[in-house]
Amino acid sequence: MRYLEDIKSKLYEGNKVAIQMLLLILGVYVFIMSQFNSIWKVPILFLGLLIWFFLRDKTKHPIIWLVFLALLLCDFWHSYFWVANHHFMITFVVLSVIAYMYHQHKGVLQKNIQIILVIVILTSIVQKLMSDQFTSGNFYYFMINKGALFQFIMKFFPESLDIVQSNSESYLNLWETNPNDGQTIVFKNITPNIGYVSLLFAKITIAFEFIVAMAILWKPKRAWVHILLVLMILGILITRLETAFMAMLASCGLFLCSNFKLKLSYVLIVLGCVTLMVTKLGYH
Amino acid sequence: MNDTIKRQLLNYTIPAFMVIVIIVQLFLVHTKQLSRWKGGGYGMYTEIHYSHNQIYIQDGISVDSLEKDMDIKEAFKLLRLMPNNNHLEKVAKLVLKKTQRDSIHMQIWKPKIDSKSGLYTRVLIDEVYLKNINP
Repeated sequence: MRYLEDIKSKLYEGNKVAIQMLLLILGVYVFIMSQFNSIWKVPILFLGLLIWFFLRDKTKHPIIWLVFLALLLCDFWHSYFWVANHHFMITFVVLSVIAYMYHQHKGVLQKNIQIILVIVILTSIVQKLMSDQFTSGNFYYFMINKGALFQFIMKFFPESLDIVQSNSESYLNLWETNPNDGQTIVFKNITPNIGYVSLLFAKITIAFEFIVAMAILWKPKRAWVHILLVLMILGILITRLETAFMAMLASCGLFLCSNFKLKLSYVLIVLGCVTLMVTKLGYH
Repeated sequence: MNDTIKRQLLNYTIPAFMVIVIIVQLFLVHTKQLSRWKGGGYGMYTEIHYSHNQIYIQDGISVDSLEKDMDIKEAFKLLRLMPNNNHLEKVAKLVLKKTQRDSIHMQIWKPKIDSKSGLYTRVLIDEVYLKNINP
């Protein structure tokens, strides 16, 4: 029971836990990304470590956070169109945390995180609505029949894997042909009515994301709002192991949430995602 | 500065930058054919990934063999990400220069799928025909 009390008191340390979780995600993400643009990152990292080692007690500036920000910005400078969307999100959240370390207004940090979270989810809805491929269900149909979604679940249904394999082979054979010949392929369905299921899944995705975004905008601290956010994160993880992005969403939820069980859920999601990122089982 | 204004600035400045990035991304999606997957617009998983965009060169030039050249590989990657006419011409010129050919006919195709019939086809986005003026 003492351990449970320790965990409780740890989780009730306000923004501290959320900032620690964010730092953990950031550390792992930046470490994985260090293989890209490494020539430019070496001086940043070396100088940053030097300043941190010798001056960290003598300066009020958050050295570690500033170094991480510099490394994130380095990727923008050299690979703006190649970095993932969560790279943008992490950068804006890190900027908010750095700003917080100067202004020290907890409410401002929470407002920043709340708005960032709402913008991310709402924009993803807008993008989905603007994409005919998504709203028609064609995108999900392609991804499911190619085995790019629900990979974990498919492992329990060997016959689905055979169909996925067959679709992939047809796809590769078509890729080798001259597109001007007008050859086509017909995808085999992993389950009957997958076309209808894909359309329904697309509509449910949009509706659920919209409800979550509005709930965070309206009542960012209510427990039911965080239950919805946790469900959304878990749903996305089951669909595909987008661990870095989901860890970011969970850490943002942690900033806003005050319920013990939900805070614990967010921490477990972050730690689980970080573990999968480090072991390369999840996407970074 | 008034405390209320200062507070509002602190609250909304960073999210405002985020909105600017998103507006730029959407602009590029509609004007330069940037894939929704990239550019900070949170449009991942809304359309088939840009890696499925297929570059095809007539007269039997293999795209795979050309991609052994790093410059061409990078150019092809960018063309798949932003398959617009400007990029297509630039890439065609680069291939023309690197391969020392007299002419090139390059095309970029995107995938199309119909969930009702399961039919997967490729649709021509753009093509360019260039002659080497300095052979």
